[in-house]
Amino acid sequence: MRADLIDIQVEDRGDDVEITLSGSLGSYQLAAVREKIEMLTEGPGCFVYLNLQRAHFKVGDYLDLFLELLNKMHARKSKLVLIFDSDEQDEYFARYRNIFEIYPSREAYKDSGVSKQLQQIGVYYTSKTGVRLSPTVAITLALLILGWAITLFFIIAAQGRDIADKQAQIIALQAQKDRYVHEIDRLESSIGPLRKLGVVQDTTMLSSFGVIQDWVSYLEYLENDRREK
Amino acid sequence: MLRKVAKPLAFGKIRNGISEGILEFLGGGYYDPMLPLFPEEAQSLQLDSHREILKKYFGIEPQGYFNSSFVWEMGMTAVLEKSGFDYALVSEAAVQATVGRSTPVSGWFTVEDKGSLMRIVPVADTLTHAIERDDLRWRVIAESYCHGGKSAVVVLDLPPNPEEIVAFFERLVDFVETNDLQTWPVGYLINQLPPEGSLSYLMSSGKKLGLPASAVTCRETLVRRPEINLFQKSFLNLYRRGRATLEGKDFDEFCEALMPAMSPIFFRDLGNAEGMRCMNVRDWGFRYLAAASHLLDSKLSFDGLRMEVCDYLLQGRKQIWAGNSDIMFLLDYQAGGALRSFCHKDSEVNLLNAWRDDAEPSFGFLDCLLPNADLTASQIDQALSMREYLLKDPYEYRIKRNDSGAEIELLEEQGFAVGSKRGVFHVAKTFGLKASSAELAVDYRIENSTYMDSRCFFGTIFEFGLLGEDSGRITVDGFDLKWDGKSPVVYPEASKIAIHDYGRRCIVTMKFSAPAAVFVGAIFGASSSAAPEMYQGVRVYPFWRTALTVADEKNFKVTISVSKG
Repeated sequence: MRADLIDIQVEDRGDDVEITLSGSLGSYQLAAVREKIEMLTEGPGCFVYLNLQRAHFKVGDYLDLFLELLNKMHARKSKLVLIFDSDEQDEYFARYRNIFEIYPSREAYKDSGVSKQLQQIGVYYTSKTGVRLSPTVAITLALLILGWAITLFFIIAAQGRDIADKQAQIIALQAQKDRYVHEIDRLESSIGPLRKLGVVQDTTMLSSFGVIQDWVSYLEYLENDRREK
Repeated sequence: MLRKVAKPLAFGKIRNGISEGILEFLGGGYYDPMLPLFPEEAQSLQLDSHREILKKYFGIEPQGYFNSSFVWEMGMTAVLEKSGFDYALVSEAAVQATVGRSTPVSGWFTVEDKGSLMRIVPVADTLTHAIERDDLRWRVIAESYCHGGKSAVVVLDLPPNPEEIVAFFERLVDFVETNDLQTWPVGYLINQLPPEGSLSYLMSSGKKLGLPASAVTCRETLVRRPEINLFQKSFLNLYRRGRATLEGKDFDEFCEALMPAMSPIFFRDLGNAEGMRCMNVRDWGFRYLAAASHLLDSKLSFDGLRMEVCDYLLQGRKQIWAGNSDIMFLLDYQAGGALRSFCHKDSEVNLLNAWRDDAEPSFGFLDCLLPNADLTASQIDQALSMREYLLKDPYEYRIKRNDSGAEIELLEEQGFAVGSKRGVFHVAKTFGLKASSAELAVDYRIENSTYMDSRCFFGTIFEFGLLGEDSGRITVDGFDLKWDGKSPVVYPEASKIAIHDYGRRCIVTMKFSAPAAVFVGAIFGASSSAAPEMYQGVRVYPFWRTALTVADEKNFKVTISVSKG
């Protein structure tokens, strides 16, 4: 019940955890605040932002709490960032300004530099997974993976181009075949009446492999042809 | 709306009427909200939006303020003055209460608050009622208002059906012409007549809110009706979050989505389909809030887990609000660790949206111990609706964040009295919420802390605002439950129960780690016409036989998930 004057808000974005404290923080609330803050910072999170913009500190004891918290976060390889943008808080944290990382907002910290954040992520996941990579090895690995990715991309792109060419060829040949079939049909229909009259000899069937498929048939055809002549 | 009803020619006529001084448009909130229930900035937003509409269509700026609910609090004086209003209409009863008289009040008065001035014009309530009801004594009543050259202000409600509006005005013109009445706009009255005096203090609880005559302010509705209070606090929470995180165009868009939730229909508890007593109205309201919440999350690109320990309901004690990209809920850990609201964002539904006539809120995961007796379904229904045998002592909470999400652990000893037996159970109730899933899993560990064996039925109550007119069905372990929607039933052994609500297009599924007996019954409320007959929701109570010897413990798990159906 002693914590009833404080509102606590947690926004968990995976690696980023923002804890917002608001309300009057006097000496009666200290124990409760300590318990709640420790409880909330215990879980996962590479960057823990403690938003104190709407907190009003009535006693100086909270500085010790935040210093302890900073140590704990440091031991857990997480980064503690204090978020506020007010003169009141500036004055409250003036003594330890160089110890704490203080930013006006979470976005401001995000914009403050990529390298230190990457380094922090590295440190955090090293402690979590037990795998430690030196920056040189990390960069080499990253370049290697990037190289593989680029090579893979080029191979896929080249194959894609090849497949596209082949497809275009197939489509063109298909169109050509259709055109020829159409043309043959047209020609057949035009000579149809003449063939009926016997003016034109129908040789189309002869050239067909469907009709003469073996030597016996071929010889029979030659014999018939000779007899007709 | 106006464009649909009025033809272009009528717009011209209205503009002419305004320029000739025979017509006047009063201003107010865009959605006609009861202003004292909202933050000042939101009040101004409503007033300015309405002002812009009048300016756009008629090229005028309203001088007078009108609110159909007729609520008034002194804080409105400064807001109205800031928004450029010269006078405001209030109910005659409020002025009568202030000046301490029961005789008719007419003319206009002034009120002052924090250095701001507002002219107050009382509406002649008795005369208005007489004209509305075609009471032939209206002339006699009017004379009591209009003595000494004074005028009476009459407010007549437009018919709700747009097709009847023209006929309404025809009847009005006919009434004025037949009786040879002199009419003029309210602004004219202010300009022509001297003030009647100054009022030191003015309060009005308003009309059409379903409040008793003894109510002094419209806030009474928040105290009397927990559903309306929850709705208003959900609005405030959302608005404050949007105000703190968004700006410029994003904030305007967010406000546009949120503003309809300020409509007075969501703050009235009138019978039938008029206010929050109606299930569809409650649904409608929460749909606006859910849509605005969805928009806010997308504007902030937030898809994580959010928890807040705060005095959400502004009742002097904390609650835990938690949510992910799919669901959000309000956990009242100081009232038996029960849920006060449980919203599914995708279907924009608050599941715990039932209405109880005894002005108790509807809950979910409200634990209850029934005596070890041969109870019929009706007896269980009575015990649950009377809220007997509840485990509702405050819990201590712990929030544990983990890789998959978070757990809210509630731990406390819960006293109970079943018949002549009194005892204490040590209850650990853990709510597990994943970072992205419409599922809430609750683990129970119950330990008998007394020096005697305890035989009872332990279960947890859900009062869902589901099914009803639009209908749906309930399935137990995949089979349809033959429930007529009225008489309570008990299904002896179930591992899974699903409520399919066709109207709200959602499916609520509850799974139990151990087969449970499930009670299903309807929640009925009184309508304006008769005794309890208005369907207000469905009560589901899964329960287990718990025979606990001394220091014995038992574990249960209930998983509730929601999907769009």
